[in-house]
Amino acid sequence: MYIIFASALCGSLQCAVSQKLAWQSDAQSKASEKQFVQFLYPEQVKLVAGKPTVVELHFRVNEGLHINSHTPREKSFIPTQLLVEEPTGVNVANVDFPAGTDYSPAFSPNDKLSVYTGEFVLRAHITAQPGDHLVQAALRYQACDTNSCYPPKKAPVAVSVIAK
Amino acid sequence: MVWAGVANYRRRKAEQEKLRQMQAVLMPAAPATSADTMAPPEEEKSPLEGKPAPGFALENLQGEKVSLASYKGKAVLVNFMATWCAPCKVETPWLIKLRDQYGPQGFEILGISTDDLDKDDKKRMAEDKADIAKFVSNMHIDYPVLIDGDSISHPYGGIDALPTSFFVDRSGKVVAATVGLHDRDELEANIKKALASGGA
Repeated sequence: MYIIFASALCGSLQCAVSQKLAWQSDAQSKASEKQFVQFLYPEQVKLVAGKPTVVELHFRVNEGLHINSHTPREKSFIPTQLLVEEPTGVNVANVDFPAGTDYSPAFSPNDKLSVYTGEFVLRAHITAQPGDHLVQAALRYQACDTNSCYPPKKAPVAVSVIAK
Repeated sequence: MVWAGVANYRRRKAEQEKLRQMQAVLMPAAPATSADTMAPPEEEKSPLEGKPAPGFALENLQGEKVSLASYKGKAVLVNFMATWCAPCKVETPWLIKLRDQYGPQGFEILGISTDDLDKDDKKRMAEDKADIAKFVSNMHIDYPVLIDGDSISHPYGGIDALPTSFFVDRSGKVVAATVGLHDRDELEANIKKALASGGA
């Protein structure tokens, strides 16, 4: 089960599952996996069992692109969200998103969008029971460049949590 | 054969985009001209150009089926867009004015929304449709906007980026295609091309 860390919560699990249309072949699915945002690190964290800990998740937006921040200024824009699959023994209580930076597109210089570019960091508040756990998540984002916007995508995130 | 061409086109587009991004990193900083910022460099011709536009029948926001075939004899701009697409919002007022200008000559626009629709949940799907309708109203769009555009993305070569436009002549043939925001003059030139071609 996914937990969505977002200001606008999805009403069902539909938003956490990639839509695959009937006509999409495997080859097309692979093509659609091309990511504009990468999860950088950490791959593994060591925590004190039972103690709430902040884990910083580092991401990078590809050069020349921007993605909406967690709080875009326009309601119709798709916010960046983290969809977390909590394994047994791990609780992700909250995720802090950074504020977006102002960006005025060349095609609309009077507008100010709230976006992430380059590297950005999310802070996940995690508590884990003793043991080794794998926390899997997906960063849902919608990217644009100077002329075009691309359909929303999900960048995979996996962090090994060792709690002692 | 057309599909093979479309698949190759998509691959080449992706490679071209990667190369463009690498060039952007390597290029020395220089003041951007409006031409630099408005149009992608040297866009490759769509494999659909010169071929019949793939037929479709999609619902409009009133729930009525609208087919491309019903516009035969008119020049049609098939414009893939989405409510979350900022460059689409820039383009839309231009499209409205161009339709006003060229409509009397037989020009029409079909806006094709690629916004996700939750087909498994009637209530959510109604909300999705309402969001699109609100966008249409706020943008003062007076041409037909059809929903579920993703379902016809495949025959159109896969809509990887928005806005994407196909200019269809009076005989139903694609005479031009553009990906991303292009300037108004280029839109107008392609509309004129569609109007001038395929007449009886």
